[in-house]
Amino acid sequence: MINNPRDALFKEDYFHPGHPLCPGCPGGMALRWIMKVLGRDSIANVGATCLCLPTHVYPHSLEIPSLYIAMAPSPAGISGMSAAIRILKRKGVIPAEKRITVFAISGDGSTADIGMAALSGAAERNDDGLYFCFDNEAYMNTGIQRSSTTPQFSWTFSTTKGKVQRKKDLPKIMAAHDIPYVATLSVAYPEDFVRKVEKARDMGPGFKYFQIHGPCPTGWRFPEHKTVEVARLAVETGFWSLYEVVHGSFNITYRPRKRLPVVDYVKLQGRFQGLTAQDIRTLQNWVDEKEEGPGS
Amino acid sequence: MSEWKQVGPDAQKRYTYQELPIGDASIGMPSERRKTGLWRYLRPRFVRRFSPCSEACPAGNDVEGFLAFAQQGRYGEALDTLLGESPLPGVCGRVCFHPCESACNRGAFDEAVSIQGLERFVADGEPTSLPVPGPSRKEKVAIIGSGPAGLTCAYHLRRLGYEVTVFEKQAVLGGMLRLGIPTYRLPRSVLDREIDRILSLGVKVETGCRVGHDIPWEHLLTWDAVFLAAGAHAALSLGIPGDSAQEVISGTAWLEAVNLGRPVSVGSRVGIIGGGNTAVDCARAALRLGSNPVIVYRRTRNEMPAMEAEIEEALQEGIEIQWLTSPIAVRRRNGKLVGLECIRNRLCKPEPGGRARPEPIDGTEFVMEIDTVISAVGETVEEAYLPPGLKGEQEGAVWVDSWGRTSLPGLWAGGDVATDPRMVVHAIGAGKRAALSIHASFTGEDLVELGRRLRTGAKGAFSIDRYLNDDLPGVELVNEVVGPDHLNLHYAEPLERAALPRLDADQRVRDFSEVNLGCDEQRARAEAQRCFRCGECRGCGNCYVFCPDGSVLFDPSAHEFRIDYEYCKGCGVCGNECPTGAIVMTAEGEV
Repeated sequence: MINNPRDALFKEDYFHPGHPLCPGCPGGMALRWIMKVLGRDSIANVGATCLCLPTHVYPHSLEIPSLYIAMAPSPAGISGMSAAIRILKRKGVIPAEKRITVFAISGDGSTADIGMAALSGAAERNDDGLYFCFDNEAYMNTGIQRSSTTPQFSWTFSTTKGKVQRKKDLPKIMAAHDIPYVATLSVAYPEDFVRKVEKARDMGPGFKYFQIHGPCPTGWRFPEHKTVEVARLAVETGFWSLYEVVHGSFNITYRPRKRLPVVDYVKLQGRFQGLTAQDIRTLQNWVDEKEEGPGS
Repeated sequence: MSEWKQVGPDAQKRYTYQELPIGDASIGMPSERRKTGLWRYLRPRFVRRFSPCSEACPAGNDVEGFLAFAQQGRYGEALDTLLGESPLPGVCGRVCFHPCESACNRGAFDEAVSIQGLERFVADGEPTSLPVPGPSRKEKVAIIGSGPAGLTCAYHLRRLGYEVTVFEKQAVLGGMLRLGIPTYRLPRSVLDREIDRILSLGVKVETGCRVGHDIPWEHLLTWDAVFLAAGAHAALSLGIPGDSAQEVISGTAWLEAVNLGRPVSVGSRVGIIGGGNTAVDCARAALRLGSNPVIVYRRTRNEMPAMEAEIEEALQEGIEIQWLTSPIAVRRRNGKLVGLECIRNRLCKPEPGGRARPEPIDGTEFVMEIDTVISAVGETVEEAYLPPGLKGEQEGAVWVDSWGRTSLPGLWAGGDVATDPRMVVHAIGAGKRAALSIHASFTGEDLVELGRRLRTGAKGAFSIDRYLNDDLPGVELVNEVVGPDHLNLHYAEPLERAALPRLDADQRVRDFSEVNLGCDEQRARAEAQRCFRCGECRGCGNCYVFCPDGSVLFDPSAHEFRIDYEYCKGCGVCGNECPTGAIVMTAEGEV
C-alpha cells in the first residue's frame, strides 16, 4: 500500500535499468528522479562524467535525446540547445506552445574547475535550462583525483595525505550570479529533491542551477549499501545543507532535528581514514561556522 | 542506413522533432540487453520477519497484523485478526501484563506502542465476521475448568471441528477471570460477551460439576481427549503462629466471595500479606468495601510480582504498603484478632537467577493494629482430586511437556494447574497449545514440524489461524525476530504515546466501576500510527525510490513491490533504507 506523498516518484522511468554505473551509485538515483520530474519532452546534455556511460556508451539507458559534450562546454550546451529550440519554434518546426526542457548534467570537476568559465557565462546570459552539478567531490570517472569541491582532509589518488584546501562553495558562487534559481540537493531526501526540480521546471525561462550531493561508494571508500545513509549523515551533521535561493532570497528547506557531530559522517568513509582528532575538530569548526556563522 | 543519408541541412523540414534520427540513435532501451543482474553477489529479498511484539505474546496474537488494520481504521478486521488467535481480546486488553509492549522496538526510539490500549479499543467493537466451527469430527474432548485456558482450548477445538464439553465446578463460567479479577479491572459485561461468543460456536457446558467428585476420573479418561485446566485455588498458608484463626482469610477465597456478590465481612483495618496481584486486588477491593487496607510485603516494590500499573493505581488510591516487612505472629486478645506482629527485613544479594532474599533485622519487631488478615502469599493446586499416577512438579502443579501433554495418555493440562506461569495470557496460550496438540494426536501430524511451520518467533508461541486457514504470507517467512538494528529509525517520527485515561482516584474508590476508561477512536488511530510494523513491508516505497538501477518494480494493482533480478546489481541500498527490516540481503546462490 502506498501511503506517502512521493507520487511524483511513482512514475514511468525514462532512465532504464541495465546501465553500467557501479552498484549503489547515487548518480543512478539522481538521474532517475530528474527524468521522472522532467519527463519525456526534455533534452539532456551530458558532460564527460560517469553519467555519460549509461547515456552515451552503447547500449543506452536514457530514453530521451541527449548530447554528449566535453567537460568544459557542458553549460554552453544549454546555451546552444535552448537557442536552437527557440529558432525551431520560430520556424514552426516545433509547435510554439510545446514545452521542451533542456538540462545539463556534469560532474563537480567539469563544473567547478574545467567548465567554470562556460558555466559563469551561461549563468550570466541567463540561458534557459537546468544545470545539475553531480557533486561526488572528486574526479571519479578518471580515477579519483582531487577537484576544487573535494573537502578538506579527504584522500584521493592525487592527495594521498589528505587535501589541504577547503571545499569550494559553488552554489554560493552561482547564487551570486543573480540567476532565478539555485538549489542544493541530496540523494537522501527524495521529496526535497523532487520538489525543487519541479519548482525549477515550472519557472519561467532562465538558468537554474542545482548541486547534487552524491556520495560515491567507489571513490569515498564505503560499502555500496550505505550510499543513502552517508548522504543523509552529510545533511544531518551539517556537512552539506539543503537550501534554495529563489530570485536572490535564501531559504533553508531542511533543517536537521538535532545536528549530529561531524565525526558520525566522517567515520563511515575510507577517504577520511587518516584523520586525526585535530582534523575532525577543524572540520567541525568549519561546519559550525558555515551553519551558524554570518551569512549562513 | 538509407535513413541516415537523408539527413542534411533540410532534415528539420522532413522530420518531426520526435522522428529526428538523432533522437533515434538515443531512443529505445537497448540497455535492457545488458543484464546487470549478473554482477550481483548479494541478493535482496522481500521477506516477512517476526515482529518482537508477536513473538513476545504467549497467546500468539498477531499483534502486528491487527495494528496494521487499526492503522487504516479497519477495526472490524483488526478484531477478526485478534479472534483468529485468542477468543478473549477484551479480557487481555484489560488485564494482561502486556509483554508485547516490553518487547516493542519503538521502546528503543521513544516509547512503546500502547498495544494493550489498542487491543481493548478494537475488542470493544464488532468483528466483521464471527469465527465458525470447523467441519465436524467424531472425537469428543472434555475440558475441565472454564478459565482462560479451558475456554480458549474449547474455542479452538470447536474451530477445528471437535465436539467439546466444558466441566465447571462453579455455577458460572470464567474461572479466575470471574472469581479472581475484581470488576473494576474487568467489567463482567466484557467477559460475558466474549464467553457468549465462545459458547455460540457450540461448546457444551456442564456447570456445578466437580471432576473427581460429581463425575469420576475413570469415566472422563474414556473420552478421546481430556484437557485439564482447573486452575490453582488452594491458598498457601502463612506458616506463622495463629494463622488458623477465623479472621485470617485466604485471599483467593475472599476475592471469590466479593466477585460473586456474596456477603463478605471485612474489618475496619485489614492487613493483606503478599505482593502479588491477588494481594493488590484484595487491598483495592477492601478499600472499595469501606475498609482501610495495608499491604505487608517482605521485599521492596521492585520485587513485587504484581503488575506495576496495579501498584501505581493502588498507591494513588491511598493504599498503604509496608515494604520489607514480614509477619511473624497473629496477636489475639479475648478471642479476637487485635494485631499482627511484624519484623522489618533487609535484602540480601540476589542469588544467581533468583530474587533477593529478605533477611529479618533483629530488634525491629513491631505490632500492627488490625482486625482482619487476608493471606495472599500464593496459591497451589489441590492435589486430592487429581487422577492417580499423574506426574507432579513443585507446588503441586501438574507436569506437562512443551505441547501440554501430561504423563497420562489422553490427558492434556495447561494454565495454573500445570507448570505454566500463572498469567491470563499464558493460560490462553496453554489452551491454544493443547488444542493443536490434541488435534495433532488425532490427525497424526508431526508436532515438531507443525511448530516449525506455525511459530511466531523463538519463544514458543504459534499461530493457529495460519493452520486453520493455511494462509502463509505471500512473501517468504524468515525465522528471525526484528530488533532495533534491523530497522532504519531515520524514517521514524517521534510521536507521543497516547495516555490512557483513568477515573480519578477519589472517584474510583467509591464503587467497583472500571478504573481504566479506554481510548476514543481518534486517540486509537493516532496510537496505531506509532507502530513501526517491524519485519513487514508497509509500502513506504523507499526501495523503489532509492534503487539506483530502477530494479524494484511497483505493481499498483497488487500494491506490492517486486525485485527485477535481471538488472538488480545487489548494492543493498533498498535493504539499508527499508524502515521495517522487510528486505534481507543473502549471498547469491545461498539457499
